[in-house]
Amino acid sequence: MIPTIWLASYPKSGNTWFRILLANLWSKRDTPADINLIESTDSIASARNPFDQQTLIDSSLMTNDEIDRLRPATYAYAASGETLADPDDPCFPVRFVKAHDAYTLTDRGEPIMAGGRGAAGAILFVRDPRDVASSFAHHMHCSVDKAISRMGDSDFCFAGASDRLDRQFRQRLLGWSGFARSWLDQRDIPVHLVRYEDMLADTPAIALAALRFAGVEPDPSALDRAVAFASIDELQRQEAAGGFREAPRKATSFFRRGKAGGWREELTHEQVARIERDHAAIMDRLGYTRSTIQTEEER
Amino acid sequence: MYSYRVSGLEVASEVDLPGLIPGDPNAAPDVTICRAVVPKSLDGATAIGPTWQRADGRFLMHIPHVARFLLEGGQSIAFESEDDAELQDVAVFLSGSVFGVLLHQRNHIVLHASAVLVGDKAVLFCGQSGAGKSTLAAALGEHGYSLVADDQCAIEIGADGIPRIQADGRRLRLWEKSISELGLDDRRGDPMRNRLRKFYVEPVAASDAAVPIGAVYALIEIRGQQEPGIERPNVVEGTRLLVANAYRPMLVHRLDQREVYFRAAAAIAATSGIFRLKRQLGFNEIPATIATLQAHWEDIGLTDGAP
Repeated sequence: MIPTIWLASYPKSGNTWFRILLANLWSKRDTPADINLIESTDSIASARNPFDQQTLIDSSLMTNDEIDRLRPATYAYAASGETLADPDDPCFPVRFVKAHDAYTLTDRGEPIMAGGRGAAGAILFVRDPRDVASSFAHHMHCSVDKAISRMGDSDFCFAGASDRLDRQFRQRLLGWSGFARSWLDQRDIPVHLVRYEDMLADTPAIALAALRFAGVEPDPSALDRAVAFASIDELQRQEAAGGFREAPRKATSFFRRGKAGGWREELTHEQVARIERDHAAIMDRLGYTRSTIQTEEER
Repeated sequence: MYSYRVSGLEVASEVDLPGLIPGDPNAAPDVTICRAVVPKSLDGATAIGPTWQRADGRFLMHIPHVARFLLEGGQSIAFESEDDAELQDVAVFLSGSVFGVLLHQRNHIVLHASAVLVGDKAVLFCGQSGAGKSTLAAALGEHGYSLVADDQCAIEIGADGIPRIQADGRRLRLWEKSISELGLDDRRGDPMRNRLRKFYVEPVAASDAAVPIGAVYALIEIRGQQEPGIERPNVVEGTRLLVANAYRPMLVHRLDQREVYFRAAAAIAATSGIFRLKRQLGFNEIPATIATLQAHWEDIGLTDGAP
């Protein structure tokens, strides 16, 4: 049985970049892996179809709460290796599964991600919320102010509408701060923290540390090649040529800039101040230096 | 007892199952459905999933806080509701998810698809939940194409080698958003469950006979600049598509039914065709998709594409 590791992140924080890097790490080709054929990681944890396949239940007839109550059992089942096409030859040393769910409990008090039964650990990707804001706005096809509101709204969910069917289940994000806090503060599974900015500054070293956390010792030359094949230029080139199936339907592109500190040109002073006010404690905890002085009253 | 005809099978049920077509009360039932005490686990289970267990010819399904279902030999379904679940809640899972597993248990070829009548042939649209099967069938209904089946399509290969699908005359099952976008509010029926905004919708017209297959389309969503259109995959790919679009592909593998699906794919390829329908998802795209389909039906000789 191979271990399962969650790749947990608030959106636009380097999760997909890391998954493409993994796909290239285990690819046997000497050209970059197709971003639309990333086979080395499972589909996102909140995907509807794997749930229906594993439970044999039509989840479109279940309420969000009913689904949430069954999600832990499906994650435990998948972690036991039962869903692999060939458990004796899993192809990859670790089952990495992306998740945009915060670490929350069902209405029966069970962790939705199934605690230690669902995964051996989690890699948590975080990114400066000021950079997340403009990237998230681009991703959601909304204004930066609206993106900032959503990042500060602990009730904001993905796929939460009840009048239609989404191919993903409702995902509670708990806001930008709540997301990171929920994963860092849970005590069910170990968490390895990856800051997007650090991964950008020294991709091989940060990827190596994350892989070692997952129990993988990659070949150094294979890792260097994977880093090069997952460069932002290559991802943008592929997306321009053939699109990216994981991009939101309305977004014009998924791989936008791939840099750190763009907020200094992209956000207004008011927007920066608002983000820093909303997320002061977690920014401090994660080492994101605030630029605006805040009065006691504002905090 | 209530009598229904589901996917070509006579069903005798102790409970009312909304959305199914009536059967022949005098016919010997192929499947019986009754209330009974259902165990929480199976002795000698050889496979155990998160919500199911399997032992020889028996299958136990558990929908927490709704019911447990015991399927035996593909011939009977016993159920025991849990926590005072409403019968309505039990019935929707019984006639959908549970019956789908029973069809697999009977070695039937069952696709996750909706189907409409084009001329005298059935055209199937396969895809996962959320792929737009029912919405497309409903939109085609507004253009005069009768509904043959929604969600599950049971296929039989006749002695003449012609694959047919069993009409099951189910009502359409649509979400509130689809109903309003398609302008079907006046035909909206009961909610499938009181707590869901998914409703039964009366089709304009429905077929209730077994119909030869005219074409099978796998619904593929494209994004960005990708070109929409219809492709005919090669035989190997076509077979793979058919297995992937079984109602529960996992059961095709676990019950060792791939051979049955390979034969069905060959029969469909020989008499009609398996295609990929690539299109953007979205209500605005539906008229263009229908125009593409109608042109394709003319090309492949389905009665000039007319209903």
